[in-house]
Amino acid sequence: MRFDLDMPAWKWPFYVARHPFEGFEDVRWKKAYNSKVALVIVLCLFIVTVAARLMTGFVFQTNFEKVFNIVPLFSSSVLIFFIWVVGNWSLCTLFNGEGKMQQIMCVTAYALVPYIISQVVYIFASNILTRQEGAILTFISYIGIVWSVVLVISAMKAVHQYSMPKTLLAILFTLVAMVIIVLVLILLISLFQQVVMFVYSIYTELMYRFSM
Amino acid sequence: MPLFRKIGAVTLTAAVAVSSLASVVSADEAYSGYNYDWWNDPVPSQNGYVVDRVVTGVDMGAGAFNELNDIFVDQETGKIYLVDTNNQRIVITDEKMETSSVMDTFTYSDEFTEEQSVIKKTTLNSPKGIFVTHYKDKTLIYIADSMNERVIGCYEDGSIFHEYTKPSSDLYESDISFRPTKVVVDNALNVYAVIPSITNGIVQFSQTGNFNGYYGANRVETTAEVLQNAFYSLFMNREQMRARQRAVAIEIANCDIDDEGFIYTVTSSKSANKDILKKLNPAGENIYLNMGFDNMQFGDVPMYYNGSNFASQIDDVDVDENGNVFLLDFTKKRIFQYSDELDLEFIFGGDGNQKGLFTSPTAIENLNKKVYVTDGRKNTITVFKLTEFGGMVQNAIEMFNRGLYQEAKEPFEEILLRDANYWFAYVGLGNAYYTSGDHENAMKYFYMNSKGGYNRAFKEYRMDMIRQYFNVFMIVVLIIIAVAIVISSIRKHNKKKKLKAANAANGR
Repeated sequence: MRFDLDMPAWKWPFYVARHPFEGFEDVRWKKAYNSKVALVIVLCLFIVTVAARLMTGFVFQTNFEKVFNIVPLFSSSVLIFFIWVVGNWSLCTLFNGEGKMQQIMCVTAYALVPYIISQVVYIFASNILTRQEGAILTFISYIGIVWSVVLVISAMKAVHQYSMPKTLLAILFTLVAMVIIVLVLILLISLFQQVVMFVYSIYTELMYRFSM
Repeated sequence: MPLFRKIGAVTLTAAVAVSSLASVVSADEAYSGYNYDWWNDPVPSQNGYVVDRVVTGVDMGAGAFNELNDIFVDQETGKIYLVDTNNQRIVITDEKMETSSVMDTFTYSDEFTEEQSVIKKTTLNSPKGIFVTHYKDKTLIYIADSMNERVIGCYEDGSIFHEYTKPSSDLYESDISFRPTKVVVDNALNVYAVIPSITNGIVQFSQTGNFNGYYGANRVETTAEVLQNAFYSLFMNREQMRARQRAVAIEIANCDIDDEGFIYTVTSSKSANKDILKKLNPAGENIYLNMGFDNMQFGDVPMYYNGSNFASQIDDVDVDENGNVFLLDFTKKRIFQYSDELDLEFIFGGDGNQKGLFTSPTAIENLNKKVYVTDGRKNTITVFKLTEFGGMVQNAIEMFNRGLYQEAKEPFEEILLRDANYWFAYVGLGNAYYTSGDHENAMKYFYMNSKGGYNRAFKEYRMDMIRQYFNVFMIVVLIIIAVAIVISSIRKHNKKKKLKAANAANGR
């Protein structure tokens, strides 16, 4: 079906979702990496994460917090996504991966479309179904996750031109790299906090001296 | 004249205002009531119980107590039995608690002669627990005579009719001491002795003193140690395993029996996650498990502060005639009242020296809607009485638990007027609306208060909606299908046209 690949950029994510095995090869061949579409998908991911917390039906709401806090939701969707992209890029450039950072971001975002759609369906269905029919919901969310995971694997394979075992290994090490990045980030933040505190205390000290 | 009337009205209003203010002040307690909301955060609530009076041993003419350890209230006669541990005596008084009699020496009777006795002592040595029951017009008193290593059964005149001592059975490990702290007797006069050094459950004796076995053992907590042992047992031999410390269940600390013969046990542990409160059937199985209360936490929500664990430590349990369960928390010195469906009703008491607070609460009992709590350090008996609000809640929940949801609606509405934080009232109103068929309102009340109730109401509400709007729904669906068909056929048509045009262009 390669004859009608001249499609608008927004159709590509849906195309790869329907062609999990050769879809990303087509993306590579057609150079259909569109950052705008990818960023819109990441935005959708964020919106869906927030909506899942706010709009899931009461019966299926497991972590209904008294005070709504958007920061953990942001870091568990958008931040994790970009850490994945950076981690994957920094690892795969060392392991002869062909993908550039922008390409990795685009294909990963494309691969997340089934998960986002399943979450939307989940949120709607959770307002219609009762607890006895909860199995349907679990099924929906599992389908979305499994489909997206398959797509991510396929995307990594295509964008870096790896063999299957190497792809899986790369993904595993990417997860490790993500943990390291998070650790370094936390370390950096606390260090900067101390630097700021240090500068601030010097400033107050000086102010006391001069105001005497 | 109108001026006078006005002045009169003003004074009257002022008087009313002042008197209402005064009543507010007099109703102030040393503790303030609270309850837990949907997120398990404490929210202020009205007091369900207030102090009626505080009684000491001197007040009832028995001399000062020295470490009150247990109290038993005979529901039939209204007599109150107090265990005065360090004075080695039992003090018997009545509901008024103005006069009392003392029981400290016992006699062996013809029924049970001194030769039959193993311990051969006529005085008590650190009695810790007491239980009283009636059998054929006779009052049977059972005393856990802890340091004498026996439970004695005697009549009111102090004549011993039986002595329950350390079993000589193979089941009972001989190196474990037999120091009963609490005792409970069922309708068949089986004696259940709580022994803190035994983790297998309560020791059960038959009426004649035979050791029947252990009753109602707690389950072993799944801790890291248990998992570690399971892992080592894969490759360690039997001797090595024996050398390792065995993981055992937490011992039962106290128990009570209700009118129907169910025995309630509590575990006094800060770290326990299960079997904190159990309701045991005659086979020794925990009924609460079948009711879906596995791993339920009782008392206050655990709190960690400065590295210490301030979790509740339930030391005593008491059940009243309506099935309400009172739990005595030794950590926070509070009393928690649960309904028979284990919904938290009231929290009262606290840590301190004022009236209504405790320094070392030891036992709890109830009689005629009054709660009696003994304090082992202050050596007092604190009597709590229901407030108007408390009575209202109890009345409403009682009706609710009997299934009279419609009748309970008005009391619950009244409760919400007085305390809008009282979550169980919302559940009650939700059920009232649910049974009357008003599913939408039921959902409103169940929201954030009862997931199960909300689910039931929502199911019915959805059915109502489908019934009501089925025609509209079907018409919309049909229209959507029709539109989809039309659009797809138009598209096909256009495609054919394009293809034709393209072919024509190629052909040229």
